[in-house]
Amino acid sequence: MKRLVFIILVLSFTLFAKAQIAIDTLSADALNNMLIEQVERLAEDGDDDADYEDLLENYIFLSENPVNLNSDEVMRLVELRLLSVFQYEELQKYRRFYGDFMFLDELEMVEGLDEQTLAIIRPVVCIEKDLSKDKITFNKMARYGKHQLVGRYEQVLEKQQGYLPIDDSALLVRPNSRYLGSPQKYQLKYTYNYRNKIRAGFVLEKDAGEMFFNDKVSDTIQKLLGSQYHRGFDFAGFHLFAKDLGIVKTAALGDYQIAFGQGLTLWSGMSFGKAGAGSSVMKQGRGITAKASASEYAFMRGAAVTLGKGPFEGTVFYSNRMIDANVSAADTLDNEAELVSSLQETGYHRTLGELQDRHAIRQQVVGGHLAYAIAHFEVGYTAHHTWLSVPLELKPSHYNQFYFQGQCLTNQGLDFKYVKGKYAVFGEMAMSYNHQVEVPEPVEGPTQAQTAFRQAQGPAFAGLVGLTVKPAGYLNFTILYRDYGKAYQNLLGNAFGEGGRNQGQRGIYLGLEAAPAPYWNLLAYADQFQFTWLTSQVNAPSRGHDYYLRISHSFNRRTQAYLHFRSKTKMKNSTNGMVFSHYPILYTKNTVRFNINYQIGWDLHCTNKAEYAHYRNEDGSNEHGYFLCQDIAYKPENKPFSLTFRYAIFDAKDYNARVYAYENDVLYSFSVPALYGKGMRVYLLGKVKLFNALTLYARIGRTIYSDRNTVGTGLSQIEGNHKTDLKVEMIWKL
Amino acid sequence: MKKTLLLIVIILSTSTLFAYDLIHPIGGRATAMGGSSVASQGLWAMQNNPAGMANLEKISLGLYYENRWLLPETAYKCGAFALPTKFGTLGLSFNQFGSSKYNENKLGLAYAKDFGRYLQIGLQLDYLMLKIGNDYGKFSALTFELGIQSHVTDKLTLGTYVFNPVSFSFEQTLNHEKLPIVMRFGLAYQFTKDFVVQCEIEKDTERDGVSLRGGLEYEAIRNFYIRAGVQTNPGILSFGLGYAISFAQINVAAQLHNELGASVQIGMIFRIGK
Repeated sequence: MKRLVFIILVLSFTLFAKAQIAIDTLSADALNNMLIEQVERLAEDGDDDADYEDLLENYIFLSENPVNLNSDEVMRLVELRLLSVFQYEELQKYRRFYGDFMFLDELEMVEGLDEQTLAIIRPVVCIEKDLSKDKITFNKMARYGKHQLVGRYEQVLEKQQGYLPIDDSALLVRPNSRYLGSPQKYQLKYTYNYRNKIRAGFVLEKDAGEMFFNDKVSDTIQKLLGSQYHRGFDFAGFHLFAKDLGIVKTAALGDYQIAFGQGLTLWSGMSFGKAGAGSSVMKQGRGITAKASASEYAFMRGAAVTLGKGPFEGTVFYSNRMIDANVSAADTLDNEAELVSSLQETGYHRTLGELQDRHAIRQQVVGGHLAYAIAHFEVGYTAHHTWLSVPLELKPSHYNQFYFQGQCLTNQGLDFKYVKGKYAVFGEMAMSYNHQVEVPEPVEGPTQAQTAFRQAQGPAFAGLVGLTVKPAGYLNFTILYRDYGKAYQNLLGNAFGEGGRNQGQRGIYLGLEAAPAPYWNLLAYADQFQFTWLTSQVNAPSRGHDYYLRISHSFNRRTQAYLHFRSKTKMKNSTNGMVFSHYPILYTKNTVRFNINYQIGWDLHCTNKAEYAHYRNEDGSNEHGYFLCQDIAYKPENKPFSLTFRYAIFDAKDYNARVYAYENDVLYSFSVPALYGKGMRVYLLGKVKLFNALTLYARIGRTIYSDRNTVGTGLSQIEGNHKTDLKVEMIWKL
Repeated sequence: MKKTLLLIVIILSTSTLFAYDLIHPIGGRATAMGGSSVASQGLWAMQNNPAGMANLEKISLGLYYENRWLLPETAYKCGAFALPTKFGTLGLSFNQFGSSKYNENKLGLAYAKDFGRYLQIGLQLDYLMLKIGNDYGKFSALTFELGIQSHVTDKLTLGTYVFNPVSFSFEQTLNHEKLPIVMRFGLAYQFTKDFVVQCEIEKDTERDGVSLRGGLEYEAIRNFYIRAGVQTNPGILSFGLGYAISFAQINVAAQLHNELGASVQIGMIFRIGK
């Protein structure tokens, strides 16, 4: 009898193992494709320079370090929006009824996990004994810990304006007309991971145009820069991170990210926001997480610890880092005083001006979070206080008069979540308090601007509340209401909303996710919003809406296609009007995209993408953009190399009708270029596994324009009709 | 401010077209679901797509009131009565939009017949009357509405509806105001016993572009419904609640327009008989 059981087990295991290989190569693609789509949508919504590395790093980490289905780690899949809270509950229910998972195939028996979700999560879960209570010894850490070293080099091969030779006197006249450094970008990253429990690492980076060890500038420039003169790696960071050490749930030292509740009070990194859409608009604050990426703006640097006992959890954190800012001496009799006119968020320090702003002021944040969780209900309280070493005083303008100014800001918030059966209710209420010490005293009656300025001090509120209902396993809908006060200020928030700021905004979101038939998925949302105050380039309170519909179909396990429509209407100042009256007008951008992934044989993976974008506004502007592309990836099984090739053409008259297209890249690097103008884009990406431990990536891409003789603007302008980028990366794993 | 804006909107719209305001989906259920109604059934189908009342089982009486943008001058009232007979369902309805200074009225006589599961046909004859205050006069017109529905599968219902298919208009008015032709078609999909999604497209010949509508309804607790929907051109999000028992139902809805604010709707239906 025992023998029989044994044979059956072995047999089923071998069968399963065989199937596993096939599924793995496919489903890693499913996760990849999902991320590609979301990043493209994020790019459409945000600015072009956004750094996705920090956001996507979590997913790569996950795919390299799968979570154990039989542990609490599964929650990470919810935090990363790969599972909905309902699916998570179903998983837990399954485990309660049937005990721990023994085979990955059991996942198919869990209610509410559709094929798409299964395909996505399969490669990022594993089945192990729950080792989270295991003792950590140095011996084990040395033996089972994984080391990884990543080195990368990047360069645009054409000579850009900013690197052209110039003589010193001309440079002194226009000091910001050249990059001071070399055009190469270097990055070096080391990480250590012991069973996702102990993580450590460092990262070093030098962006293109920043001065490296061997770059030289003239003495006059050096003198001009004074103490701001800096050569070598421009960014350096390290992190130490530990998890599940008895009462200590998580602890971090060095660089880390911290996020709670719905992100209205505290969410230090990036998030997918509306791009995630569907049931995942409900955010899941992930507490303290390690930050291993080289993204230079949104993160914390210091120490943080979360302690947990029973239903209670408490976190304290402190961050202290230098940030980039434009510092100027205040125009007062007391010339000791300094003021900051703006905070720089790009992380580039290439020109004299950028270097002068580098690490100009100190930002300190201290805060904490208290959470109480019982069966289906969770409530949390977050508070943090930010100091800047130099007060921020923005250039007065109507649109920014409620923005944060001054030196100190306190934020507090209460978040809650209730998930039971078919319902999930969630929300967060937040308050900001700006401790402006010096309120400018009006001399003869306050002007309008001064009144507003005083209004911007003191308390301001923001809130959001949402409801997700799941009538059946394969469908759910969400209603979310948000109202962010126009004077609500937060330097560390990132809640659901339109545009980047959780300020002066009100809106309702309605979303639906369904699988109307097997292998068909539908996602639709409508978001209607109002900006209650002026925004940048919009000279009046404005409004808009965003409609989205996506239909996807899996023809078979190797062929998936989707079709999406998006229509977004917002307002922007007319450029037609007379100079003294820039009034806002409505503009609409409609996008239709068809995408299909399929496989030819086992080795050739193909993707076709076609996109049409249409932009029109009330000024009568009417622009069209087209994009067509063919991707071919040759990934032979059991061979140590792969090749990916893209050929794409685009035709968009203007930036307004631009098209965003994600490009496969070397690992840990992401590019989603905005394409406009007329031309073609090709790239070739190769990956070779040299030894077991060493992998080499190289990518060369070129954009060739047929409608222009210069590419780019300003310092990145190239004489000629093409731009070529080269990347080489080496990954050493131990 | 809102009032002035609205007056401008009304004046502008009435100078070029008529009876637009009357010809829109009504009922607390349809309005909560973004106005999608062409494939749904019930008493208010008389106005939204008469074919939908072919299967009424009981004598029904309904009252509907809508306060658009929360202004009394733009109230919409409707009363309807339906009588199921052996030969089909007969209906009578009266709709009014506006105030004493300006109002639009419609008196309708409807008939709907069920030809098995796959086909229901409905027809309504309309007498339209436009009254403009301060002795500007009264104008009237005759026209009709036609609709069909089909329960294609257990889950899927399709519907098509046309108002004024042969383009009648008001002959007597100064500008020979045209009555629009309004056409809608769409579907209702019953995902589960307690969850329905509806969507449709509408073209009104006197308006630019088309309007897309979609809505969902979920029976959260027995007899208690929550609804939400969206409509484009103009962009409106809507929400509503409903409670239905065998002899009565009450539905409330709110529509949120980005420029003009909120409108509220309430509808009640009483059913008489076994």
